[in-house]
Amino acid sequence: MRLGNPRVARSVRSLVTVSLVGGLVSVAAAPAALAQEQDEKVTLRVALTQEIDHLNPFMAILQSSTGIGRVAFDYLTRYSAKDQEPIEGLATDWKTSDDNLTWTFQIRDNAKWSDGEKLTAEDIAYTYNLIMEDETAATANGSFVSSFEEVTAPNDTTLVIKTRTPQATMLALDIPIVPEHVWSKLDKVDDPKMDQPPIVSSGPFTITEFRPKEFVRLEANKDYWDGAPEIDGLDFVFYDNADGAVSALQNGEVDLVNRLTPAQYETLEGEDNIAVNKAQGRRFNELLMNPGAATKDGEPIGDGHPALRDVRVRQAIAKAIDPQALAERVMSGYAEPGSSVIPPVFEDYYWEPTEDQRWKFDPAQANRELDAAGYERGPDGIRQMPNGTPLEFRLLGHKGRAFDEQSASFIVEWLKKIGIKVTQEIVQDDQVNEMSSAGEFDLMFSGWGVNPDPDYILGLHRCSARPNAAGHGGTTDSFFCDQEYDRLYARQLAEQDETKRQEIVKQMQERLYEQAPMVVLDYDNALEAYRSDKFADFNVQPQPTGVIMEQNGNWGYYQAKPGDGGAEGGMPTGAWIAIGAVAIVAVAGGGIALRKRGKSVDDRE
Amino acid sequence: MTAGETKPAESARSIAWARRRQAAGRVWREFATDRGGLIGLIVLAIIVLLAVLAPVLTNEADLNVTTTELPPRDPPSADAWLGTDRNGVSVLLLIWWGARVSLLIGFSAALLSVFIGTAVGILAAHFGGWPSTILMRLTDFFLVLPTLVLAIALAAVLPRGLGTIVLAIGVASWPTTARLVRAQTLTIEARPYIERSRALGAGHAHLIGKHVLPAVLPLVFANTTLVVANSIIAESTLSFLGVGDPSRPSWGGILQAAFSSGAATQGAWWYLLPPGIGIVIVVLCFTLCGRALETVLNPRLRGQG
Repeated sequence: MRLGNPRVARSVRSLVTVSLVGGLVSVAAAPAALAQEQDEKVTLRVALTQEIDHLNPFMAILQSSTGIGRVAFDYLTRYSAKDQEPIEGLATDWKTSDDNLTWTFQIRDNAKWSDGEKLTAEDIAYTYNLIMEDETAATANGSFVSSFEEVTAPNDTTLVIKTRTPQATMLALDIPIVPEHVWSKLDKVDDPKMDQPPIVSSGPFTITEFRPKEFVRLEANKDYWDGAPEIDGLDFVFYDNADGAVSALQNGEVDLVNRLTPAQYETLEGEDNIAVNKAQGRRFNELLMNPGAATKDGEPIGDGHPALRDVRVRQAIAKAIDPQALAERVMSGYAEPGSSVIPPVFEDYYWEPTEDQRWKFDPAQANRELDAAGYERGPDGIRQMPNGTPLEFRLLGHKGRAFDEQSASFIVEWLKKIGIKVTQEIVQDDQVNEMSSAGEFDLMFSGWGVNPDPDYILGLHRCSARPNAAGHGGTTDSFFCDQEYDRLYARQLAEQDETKRQEIVKQMQERLYEQAPMVVLDYDNALEAYRSDKFADFNVQPQPTGVIMEQNGNWGYYQAKPGDGGAEGGMPTGAWIAIGAVAIVAVAGGGIALRKRGKSVDDRE
Repeated sequence: MTAGETKPAESARSIAWARRRQAAGRVWREFATDRGGLIGLIVLAIIVLLAVLAPVLTNEADLNVTTTELPPRDPPSADAWLGTDRNGVSVLLLIWWGARVSLLIGFSAALLSVFIGTAVGILAAHFGGWPSTILMRLTDFFLVLPTLVLAIALAAVLPRGLGTIVLAIGVASWPTTARLVRAQTLTIEARPYIERSRALGAGHAHLIGKHVLPAVLPLVFANTTLVVANSIIAESTLSFLGVGDPSRPSWGGILQAAFSSGAATQGAWWYLLPPGIGIVIVVLCFTLCGRALETVLNPRLRGQG
């Protein structure tokens, strides 16, 4: 375990800075302002343009929800802000048996639940066991426990996990830990009560209020084991569109905004009191092609187009799409063209197709291949399956997401060229979710944030990641199911040698690329902006090119620091001058007015 | 009427037509004295003509996002007089083609709405009794439903497309027409000539088709003009809220795209203003025409003159 805790050093330094600057400011100009700042609660207000699917950590899949989960809940280990290596979380130390099948974690004894109860190894064991035993509880994070045999807590500070096969991801278990004393009283895991505060958790913030489509409010956990956050509260405020969020940022109604469009980013870049952050993203956008949705047991569900079950059709579509053009035109260059499901930011696992393998943008070739595969063009120019079903696909996308809305017209035009008709269905987030998990789509825009450990993103394409008949029990990306791929997945999970594991992970990406249940369109740069007059620079992950929001952790929020009274921004000085000027004008104007009135009164009398 | 008196030899049909022609001529003369209405009509005629001729005057292929060479979000230039949108397509071209969709939906939805409204209104007034009660309660029900919410719900549930939008607006906006037509029908049916023809054995179809409908139609026509204006606004609203047909540019859709790509933040006025101004001009023209027509056709609205 390597943990040269950089946080301590930093917070000491910042303490010095704050007191120094504070001293300067109080001497210089505005003692009143500083006092006010100390009295008032500092709340970081974050704009969200994505909806919340669940606050229940077993069900939450959307980025917005899991991002809130990361500040509210604790995990066994965390990813460091610096380079995303596993560091201590609830576990302070760990060791493995010689056969790599038994992991023993030392659990800290200073963690507490927000209702005052003590957090013990028993709670962690309960959480993992729940996911192993209850199919519904496995909805969001089931992949992490797939090879667990037994999880026990011999005492309050020891957790023992036995796995059936060696598992490479034991320090990357992205499972929010829940309190046993609350959850054991529930009848079912997807109890709607667990989507509403009070939600008992142990993270640096506690969810206190939730109004769907309005806001989620969190309060700082002053007893947090890693030290209380420097801010008092964290509000996630919903905005229907990014422009609304941006003007709220400009007006100072929110402090932090992400998922900016290039136009917004370029505008905010030049504004006073607003700082921007362009990060190499860990997200990708993709176009899913329903390869025949089915449940875990192979029972077909949904209404995907039968032609997409043919890998030749999917490959032809991949050749008719130009990721380079999307990166340049839709993202204005704030993105890299996509190829595989692991973004280049994770260079150890990133796989790039060779020139021979790559689906080159070549509509003519795609047309030839579709001709050869027996999809003749009908009289209207639209291709047909041998049985006469025309190749007319629906394209599902998220309303209000500029990437989806914009790329949709590109996809429509490109596929038109190869004789495929596409109609756009741009609908609300929750509707997209519902339809995608029910397999009711042909083509669909999706995207994932990728963890430093590739297990989760790779696990999304396994046969067993598909949901059960009730739509629970798994999170699949594309309903992809391939024996070869699953075999490789099991091998990488068991592989303890890092270099060998990377090799298998790359083979998996190759297999996925070739089978083409999706086309990875681009890796977005994350474009973010915040109020630099109210908050100090945020702790990004990874440093120095990383993101503030949508981290593999909560460093951005947890270590948010109120600005130094804006002393460096020059804002108070300007404001004081402005106030002074206004006051002078007001006094002068008032004086003149008074004199005038006096005169008129005089005159009248 | 005078024609009928002076030339008794002509058939009843030709007399009726002559009378109608004359009435139309009188309406036109009166309409022409309303300067606002006339201007509205002329501007509308130009816009409709341009919209219809769009495929002749412009190249539809320039709307294709995959082939455009212009830079995205670019201010007005010689290549694109109104700048470019988020994909590098000329905004002028988008507005031009958007006018087709907006007008088409506006007209179709208005026709549907007026058709339902007129049918319900005439039937309710003509038959009276329990059919009237049922029809009018139905009307009341739709009247109190918030139009926009109903339209959004319908557009969200039904499959995407122009037809859906037309249906959503049409179904949501007919009740006012129904009330208006019912009132007018009631006054017409109270007139002696209706009673006369009923006494002569005229059936329901004859009464409605030959007497009531022609008498109600002018008012319906004036009302349609006003409903078109509302339908265009409704269409823009639905598209702006993202429940429109995303595959074709309509004015509301262009506005929505502008907002979601951050045009307001960027200050890209050339992207935001034209669709808005387009909506304002067309709606204003329809309203001017509709008001002028209404004044001519509805004696109660005619002033002292």
